[in-house]
Amino acid sequence: MRSRAAALLREPLVHFLLAGLMVFALLSGRPADPGERRITVDEAVVGRLADRWAQTYHRPPTPEEIDGLIGDYVKSEVYYREALRLGLDRDDEVVMRRMRSKMIATSTSAAEATSPSDAELQALLDRDPLRYALDPHYTLTQIYLGTDDAEARAGAAGLVVRLRQGAAPDGLGRPAPVPTRFSAAPASELASIFGDEFAAALRIAPIGSWTGPIGSGLGLHLVKIDNRTVPAAPRVAEVRQRLENDWRSAAIRHAEDASYRQLLKGYDVVIEQPQ
Amino acid sequence: MRTIQLAAVLMLGSAVLVSGCDRIKQASGGSSATVAETEFPERVLWGDTHLHTSNSVDAFGFGVRLGPEEALRFARGEEVTSSTNLKAKLARPLDFLVITDHSEGLGATKALYDAPRILIRDPQLLRWHDMMHEGPAGSLRATAELLDARANGTMPLGLQNDTGADKRTKSIWLDHLGIVERYNEPGKFTALMGFEYTLMDGGNNLHRNVIFRDGKDLVSTVLPASAAGLVAPDKLWDYMDAYEKSTGGKVLAIPHNSNLSNGLMFMLTDPSGGPMSADYARRRAAHEPVVEVTQIKGDSEAHPFLSPNDEFAGFAVAGWELNNLLSTQPKTSTMFAGEYAREALKRGLAIEQRTGVNPYKFGMIGSTDSHTALSTGDENNFFGKHSGNEPSATRAMSEQNLGTRKGRFGWHYLAGGYAGVWAKANTRAAIFDALMRKEVYATTGPRMTVRVFAGWDFKADDLEGNWVRAGYTRGVPMGGSLAPAKGGKPDLIISALKDPIGANLDRVQVIKGWIDKAGLTHEKVFDVVWSDMDKRRAAGGKVPAVGDTVDLTTATYTNSIGAASLTTVWTDPAFDPAVRSFYYLRVIEIPTPSWPAYDAVRYKLKLTPDVRVKQQERAYTSPIWYTPV
Repeated sequence: MRSRAAALLREPLVHFLLAGLMVFALLSGRPADPGERRITVDEAVVGRLADRWAQTYHRPPTPEEIDGLIGDYVKSEVYYREALRLGLDRDDEVVMRRMRSKMIATSTSAAEATSPSDAELQALLDRDPLRYALDPHYTLTQIYLGTDDAEARAGAAGLVVRLRQGAAPDGLGRPAPVPTRFSAAPASELASIFGDEFAAALRIAPIGSWTGPIGSGLGLHLVKIDNRTVPAAPRVAEVRQRLENDWRSAAIRHAEDASYRQLLKGYDVVIEQPQ
Repeated sequence: MRTIQLAAVLMLGSAVLVSGCDRIKQASGGSSATVAETEFPERVLWGDTHLHTSNSVDAFGFGVRLGPEEALRFARGEEVTSSTNLKAKLARPLDFLVITDHSEGLGATKALYDAPRILIRDPQLLRWHDMMHEGPAGSLRATAELLDARANGTMPLGLQNDTGADKRTKSIWLDHLGIVERYNEPGKFTALMGFEYTLMDGGNNLHRNVIFRDGKDLVSTVLPASAAGLVAPDKLWDYMDAYEKSTGGKVLAIPHNSNLSNGLMFMLTDPSGGPMSADYARRRAAHEPVVEVTQIKGDSEAHPFLSPNDEFAGFAVAGWELNNLLSTQPKTSTMFAGEYAREALKRGLAIEQRTGVNPYKFGMIGSTDSHTALSTGDENNFFGKHSGNEPSATRAMSEQNLGTRKGRFGWHYLAGGYAGVWAKANTRAAIFDALMRKEVYATTGPRMTVRVFAGWDFKADDLEGNWVRAGYTRGVPMGGSLAPAKGGKPDLIISALKDPIGANLDRVQVIKGWIDKAGLTHEKVFDVVWSDMDKRRAAGGKVPAVGDTVDLTTATYTNSIGAASLTTVWTDPAFDPAVRSFYYLRVIEIPTPSWPAYDAVRYKLKLTPDVRVKQQERAYTSPIWYTPV
């Protein structure tokens, strides 16, 4: 097989095919009528060539460079049309793949461009409300007591009493490079700083009074929650971006499937394989 | 013979065969909600500024089939299926991500893979094509050779000057930007636009990641710049200037893997070997405010050859200190000085002393450089450098030669790192601005929180009040420049906190570098605060080791040693107001198991004795500089 391929590679026709392949790669995307013998390079084409140049080099092409671009464009057109005339596009794996991906792009472009209606997004939201659930938000003050050990626990009880009696929290506990005060902070942010365990404890902690010690991935804390907002099930408007992303990726998949199914109906597919 | 007609079977194929990038096209822009910036940065944001997907030539060749959309979903915490069909999910989401696919030949490997064999004329391309179709191992070898060829300038014409390349690049680039835009959610998850500029001199790594501050409206007016045929970064800076001028936007570049540049990343001269001019130094500093000093392909903070008195220098340099990136040239010890960040910071002082401008006044971050579309920096959840070493029983001990040469093994890869960013909001603008002012730090993977401020009048009792506000109002944060004052010595407020789901801290060190009047540079490592200070007394200038709780039979450790938080106010005891100097922090964890140790337990492996099975992970802050009047 290999020696035959090697021999083929020496054939002038194969070289010609190769050139055709490169031309095809260049031109994929530009439909042209192979029967047409006129090549018109109009202002729109020249404008496009110049724009593409400018985008790459950050300056407009010189007249000589424009001439070069036009010459190259004409050459590509000639090769492309001749290649189609010779049927070089048939039985070509690359052409097949390009065509396939163009068909897919065609079948899915509508889904990409479509904006889902609110009703569609609502349906998506209703199917998996937990996925889109909004974080509770907290306004709170926390005092970091350091590692969870007997000493820290012993100190905590006394501190809570003093704080409940109105002592100022400033300067109490250990200094740490995290905020003492959080204003309407989402639970996910608190979980990122202190760990999930801390965020979970806040869900059931009392509001309006100092409490603790509460454990975290960092050690122990005293906490006073001023406000906890647990959002109701989200409305579409609140999670629109995520819904649209999810909707679109599902819609694209679905559109492709549906279009393929439809096309497939037009074919009798006969698969013969040895028993 | 049997004849079947089964629509279900036919349908099945399509979902499997269609690659991700065919399916995903651009759509409407991201959220337009405005997010308010706080007065000072309040919390650190975690991200990866360096990730490759199937759009990178080498990543595709290495086997990744996940594209940008999967990468973004994974980074924000969703579960995805990896290229080797494993379920992958981060223990915690990231706050931001920059996908930086190689700009050179976006999609070119895929084109070669797709080409019909009979039509490939070039014997080299044909060989690679065949290797790629042999299976994953062949694909790896082909990609490695392809990288070699690019570095050596021996790339066959068919891939070098492909007439279709421009068009392909543009189409992939625009699709990519569209996806990034859709997943950018200000205030919650930031997706920035960027690419990797794969600059190489031979096999010497001079790569930069280029990151934009702007959205698709501006970034889509340019194509990613290609470094093909170039050996110096100034053309990249021209490109960046042109972008800023034509769009009014902003862009920066982040060099990485100086450890594989064979001395070229931080040269004392300009790239041609002549003396570095003030103008060149100024351009470098302005375009490249930050360096990525730790990532999967090794750590570039400090090397024992350059810092013989620093017992923590040389974090996981094994394998990487032998050769340049592509192992085309062995490394000699004279090259280290141009490769490691600490030495570069010192060289910067020397060049500034001569020219008046410091080219290497850079901040430090870590990032992964994963080629799997999966930003994994955790030892117990590491998806490898590329899809050829996603979790498997053989990956730790198999050769990773990038070509045919010897010396590198799977275990040499690091699970890390990440970038910690003190931004005023989780938005593109705020993250970009924090990078520009270098208020950022590097970690080898764990997410420890670290703050440092330098001023002239900080005292221990500042820690009893709002010391963060004091830090910003009476001093400067990491990345800043401390203006000279009349008398006094620099005081540093230092505070570090363990990763909430990670290991305790061993110690915090201040690394000081300076240049004396004779023009000689120096460095000194100070242990400034550590766990159990009353028991672990410093002797002979050294703090005793923290201990070791790692159990290799289970790949576990306990936080029974070390400290959850370490805070102090430190004053430089040997400050000389007449000399240029810098200070940065190194925060060191207690020993923990490495990813090969987790693999050994998971797959019941016997590792050879040279394998790194535990380590003390760490963070490096950006420096604070002092320049005399």
